[in-house]
Amino acid sequence: MMELNLSRVDYTQVAVTSPKTMKLLPASGKRAIQKVTVGDHEGVVTCFGMKKKETVPVFKTLPSQAIKRLELGGPPGSVADRIFVSSGTEVRGYSKKGKQFLGFNTNLAEPPQAMYVTGSDLFLTGTYVFNHFHDLKDQNYFLAPDKINDVLCLPLDKFSLLTSVLACQDRVLRVLQESDLLYEVEVPGPPQTLCLLNGNGGVEGNELLYGTSDGKVGMVQINSLSPSHRWELPNEKGHGGILCLDNYDITSDGVQDLLVGRDDGLVEVFGYNETDEPVLRFSHQLNESVTSIQGGVVATAGYDEIVAATYAGWIQGLTTEPQEKEAGPGDEVQVNVETQARIKTLKQELEEIQQKVAREREKYQATAHSSKAISAVPFFNINDKFTLSKDDASYTLSLEVQSAIDNVLLQSDVPIDLLDVEKNSAVVSFSATEPESGNFLLATYRCQANTTRLEVKIRSIEGQYGTIQAYVTPRIQPKTCQVRQYSIKPLSLHQRTHSFDESRPMNVLKISGNFSMAEIHSWVCFCLPELPERTPVGDSATFYLLNTFLDTQLECTYRKGEGIFRSDNISTISILKDVITKQATHRKVNIQITYDLSDESIPHTLQLIHPRLEYQLLLAKKVQLIDALKELQIHETDLSFLSAEYVNILENADELQAEYKRQPCALERLYGMITDLFIDKHKFKGVNVRTKVPQLMELLDNYDLQTVIDFFQLN
Amino acid sequence: MLVPIFTLKLNHKINTRMLTIGCYDGQHPCLTAATTAGKVFIHNAHNRGIASGRMSVSGENSDISLLNIQQAVSAVSAGKLDPTSNCDSLLVGTQTNLLAYDVINNSDLFYKDTPDGVNAVVVGSLGTVEMPLAVVGGNCAIQGFDLEGNDVFWTVTGDNVCSLALCDFTNDGKMELIVGSEDYDIRVFQDDEIIAEMTETEAITLLCPMMHSRFGYALANGTVGVYDRTARYWRIKSKNQAIAIHAFDLDSDGVPELITGWSNGKIDARSDRTGEVIFKDNFSVSLAGIVEGDYRMDGKTELICCAVDGEVRGYLPASRDLKGNLMDTNTEQDAVRELSQRKQNLLLELKNYEENARAAQSNRPSGLGGMDTGQMGIIPANTQLQTSLTVDPGDEKHPPHVELFVATTNETILRTALIFAEGIFEGESHVVHPNVNNLSSELKVPITPPKDVPVDLHIKAFVGMKGSTQFHVFEITRQLPRFSMYIPCAKLPQEPQGTVTFTVQERVQRVVLWINQNFLLTDEWPAGAPLHFQVVSLRGTGALVIHMEGNGQVTIKTDDMDLAGEVIQSMAVFLGIEDLQVTSDFPGYMEELKNILIKVDEFSSVRQKLTAEMADHSNLIRSMVVRAEDARILADWKNMRKYYMELFDLNRDLINGYKIRCNNHTELLSCLKLVNQAIQRAGRLRVGRPKTIVVNACREAFKTHNIDALFKIMKVGAT
Repeated sequence: MMELNLSRVDYTQVAVTSPKTMKLLPASGKRAIQKVTVGDHEGVVTCFGMKKKETVPVFKTLPSQAIKRLELGGPPGSVADRIFVSSGTEVRGYSKKGKQFLGFNTNLAEPPQAMYVTGSDLFLTGTYVFNHFHDLKDQNYFLAPDKINDVLCLPLDKFSLLTSVLACQDRVLRVLQESDLLYEVEVPGPPQTLCLLNGNGGVEGNELLYGTSDGKVGMVQINSLSPSHRWELPNEKGHGGILCLDNYDITSDGVQDLLVGRDDGLVEVFGYNETDEPVLRFSHQLNESVTSIQGGVVATAGYDEIVAATYAGWIQGLTTEPQEKEAGPGDEVQVNVETQARIKTLKQELEEIQQKVAREREKYQATAHSSKAISAVPFFNINDKFTLSKDDASYTLSLEVQSAIDNVLLQSDVPIDLLDVEKNSAVVSFSATEPESGNFLLATYRCQANTTRLEVKIRSIEGQYGTIQAYVTPRIQPKTCQVRQYSIKPLSLHQRTHSFDESRPMNVLKISGNFSMAEIHSWVCFCLPELPERTPVGDSATFYLLNTFLDTQLECTYRKGEGIFRSDNISTISILKDVITKQATHRKVNIQITYDLSDESIPHTLQLIHPRLEYQLLLAKKVQLIDALKELQIHETDLSFLSAEYVNILENADELQAEYKRQPCALERLYGMITDLFIDKHKFKGVNVRTKVPQLMELLDNYDLQTVIDFFQLN
Repeated sequence: MLVPIFTLKLNHKINTRMLTIGCYDGQHPCLTAATTAGKVFIHNAHNRGIASGRMSVSGENSDISLLNIQQAVSAVSAGKLDPTSNCDSLLVGTQTNLLAYDVINNSDLFYKDTPDGVNAVVVGSLGTVEMPLAVVGGNCAIQGFDLEGNDVFWTVTGDNVCSLALCDFTNDGKMELIVGSEDYDIRVFQDDEIIAEMTETEAITLLCPMMHSRFGYALANGTVGVYDRTARYWRIKSKNQAIAIHAFDLDSDGVPELITGWSNGKIDARSDRTGEVIFKDNFSVSLAGIVEGDYRMDGKTELICCAVDGEVRGYLPASRDLKGNLMDTNTEQDAVRELSQRKQNLLLELKNYEENARAAQSNRPSGLGGMDTGQMGIIPANTQLQTSLTVDPGDEKHPPHVELFVATTNETILRTALIFAEGIFEGESHVVHPNVNNLSSELKVPITPPKDVPVDLHIKAFVGMKGSTQFHVFEITRQLPRFSMYIPCAKLPQEPQGTVTFTVQERVQRVVLWINQNFLLTDEWPAGAPLHFQVVSLRGTGALVIHMEGNGQVTIKTDDMDLAGEVIQSMAVFLGIEDLQVTSDFPGYMEELKNILIKVDEFSSVRQKLTAEMADHSNLIRSMVVRAEDARILADWKNMRKYYMELFDLNRDLINGYKIRCNNHTELLSCLKLVNQAIQRAGRLRVGRPKTIVVNACREAFKTHNIDALFKIMKVGAT
């Protein structure tokens, strides 16, 4: 297999960019130079080409409202070389020379979040709304039950009915036929971005790539009756979420490769093996989130490259062209001269700006003596994400700023654990806290120079809820800091799902009273993450959720005046009961609560925990043995006397240790869940069993499933 | 791009910080390191391993010899102890002993009891001592052994020694000893006199000599840096811990770089002047040690980095053609990128000013971006931040502390104050984040510095309005003086017993100036003879009285000998005193010390008794085993059973005895540490030459059990 060797080149920098806002204009010939066009948050569309390693501007529009998407289109059947941008509530079109030929006011209530263009069809989505325009005339409309992240339309020439696909936050792709929902495709994470396979959807035009915010990529085939999942790439190493995808044959093997851009700055190239499954060929770490990615030819004709735009507006290339020329000393000088000239002009520019800044700074400081003047510093952009990752049942908070971060203060009014993230270089320091003043955690992250992105892992405890605040201070003068809030819900470890196993024993909680649909929806929303903020349409709503740590499930069905919650985990029901009661009392709404507890649910939940607990105990035991076994290995020439189990431990020592390190406190967490289960079981019977907890802990230390089940039943 | 010239897998675990390299036969360098289960391994790439005496050849790898120490190894070093031979000797330290070992002849050079433990060992010539020494740092004490094992050098230091290095600190061609200890101090000894002291912010875990008077250091909190004499060139802090530092000229520019091996498996080379990274590489696990040597025997010295799993990588210095560009980077690209980044930052700053100016002109500044004034955090431009430091004697609810008061000058609120300062908080920062309902324009931050050191407080205050989501950040640095935890007091609750008297050739005004600079006083102390200054410690250690007559006679009264030492050292630096002899009397402390010395005697005799008992027992065991085995051969089951039962009992006794011995040993160790600290304290009351003399005289008196002389020396000094 050919090794891919790509080197990084920086082209230019624009303002902050949203995902999918950079495209390469189609080339005039095969492997001829293409031009780059990008739209940024200042509302500027920039188009440039490269000539002798210098950026040559083609055009640049005037600033307007932030550009959320940039797409290329053209009349049906011709080359798609027209640039469409969605900026505010307006969609504008530019020719490749920069002439504006379209200014379409969509008259939508909110600025479109996603846009797709093909031929004379325009697709726009707001937070929940899907709109289709044909020749700028309103054609189709759809209201999605959850947030829409991306939209696209399957190739028109291959389908008799217009088929579009919405990527929705509740982990489904919704396939629409004109204005009607054809079916839903459940995907492993909240889909963030969509892309047609090979740019045309494959032979049948129905093959679709999606990338999720928890870092998974998959391909589905949208058949006329049901979807078929072709492959799915898991995210075992915990890389960032997917922001953009593209197909391009960068390996020059005749098959288009998959290009992936992630929000932690990772760029990946996947080739396909014989069974058409993707295989990682290349990866490169950029410093900032990769918002757009595309393969093409930009710097030098004949050399393929990957062009990426980052959050902070850098346009960078990963090119197959060797950067260190080996031809001769003469060439080297040539290269140097070009870059030297560029450095020189940059330095000159810098000097001018510096003087200007110095003047302005003085002026600003002079205002400090005036009693009437004000100091108002505009908001800076923060790109933040707070997501629950299923693999280790913890939250990941990522913060990204356009310029370097000086420090971040994390404050929490709920007890949480902060876990170390390997790739962070920031020095963390925990400050002493006083829970009376509402601070359970105060931690400062002092960032190293040039850090624009910070990632923090947070472990929450179900039942304890509140808010985490992040105060972000970048290194820009005049120094300001911005605060962002993230809520930890009472059932923080739950995740939306779309299936429910009816065969499990269920505990049921029924709430009735004089409340409206909106009221109960707001209470449920208060308890559970990942639910849409908007009250669902229709008389009743049903949501299924999954506990990411224990795999127990929860069904919420509610309507005006009634709510039914079913879960196989009694702790879940207990938390719901407490929080909803509190909420209702707070709003002065009278509610009646009845519950029906299933005795089998306790052994069932314990059975669910059992394999994990047993695995963790075994792992801990094995890891303990590793050192001793290794010493034996060193001193004995022949290890055949060891039992197969020990030989196995020795062989897998590294993996075992890595695994153990990956899940700190997993055992303690499981113990905590079992203890909660025990307390909650008795709480419903009105008995306080806290005194018996030490007895339970003792049992857990010498764990045996049956004795634990017996203990639960006897007490 | 610089790549390793060789890699090896030793298949032995390497204990961190216990790696060295030595040419034991004068030719072949051998990596030597402590490994698990109290063993030291010697990797000999050029000869087969040898097995005799203490050594055994390890299983399948015959190029590795194992040295069984039978005890947890605490330090390993190698170097030339014998000036007449070109062979290195190996030194292995444990918590109780130091072994100097001749690897080639398989013999012990000496085996010494080191009751103070061995935390660090360096080998080399020290100051004016002719013979090379093995310098051993233990609990508060430093000893130097020559080839025969005589301790020709001895001194004390403030706390447990963590690291040692020999470096030509004074640039006089003779080596000075640099000592890093757990009390955050780096001390420099010229022979046995302390010539410099630098206070750091954590325990100093590593030290390494660089070029001339420069040396590198690393702290337990992840800081590494470079000093040139007493001036710090640079330092950086990482969230990881430095495991090994070493000076090596990797880019062939004639100046060694500081190579650091980190706990997360990273190594980096930093320029000694600026701390800029010129090279980095990654191991999969934590580093264990970094050394240099001609491991391939081709006349070139390689940098050798070892990880804890036994992976070894050797790097040759880069060729000059690379011009110091060791990483696979395009410097020009980087320069362009950096310039563009700077440009972008300046443009952003410019934009801030422009938007600000526009907001000022508009009547409704809230019109900016649709946000209201509160959310935007718009504040009057003349807002200022005021800070003050006062001493708060405390009440029932609050313990006594130093109070930092931060306030804005108008109706704006202080959302949060972050204080970054090293050594006085648990971490490096302290945050005050009041409840959202109690926001006001002022904040009070209680600070209790645990030690008497001057500290810079870097204050970041977030100023805005109630409900703001954006705040202005005010940054101010305030210095906390050295003796901030003391409050003036007109009437002392109890007159301190301890006194120190000495005479200085200085005017009273100068001492008053020193007082005003080093104490946190609300009003300046008035100058005038005689000076009588009295304060009470907020840490509950009693009063401090400084009295000075017009003729220059100074009396310091306190029961805290450490404090008296601190006061004298700080005053001496301020007044530029080089040598100072004092007379002191600390009756309470002396009484305590007497008890400790009695205890030391007790523990020592118990120890001897236990050792004798153990020897008895082992003789008994030997004979019992013989008898039991005889009985077995004779099929005398009854007796065999009896003997083995007895043997079992004996064994249990032995184990019990061992436990007692262990406890006794730790007790003894802590007492010895206290004695060492007492000597150190007595030393710190003096400055310069008298200090050295007192320390040595005390040691001599302690060695010869002359307790009365010891006390006399502590009181009036020695000549």
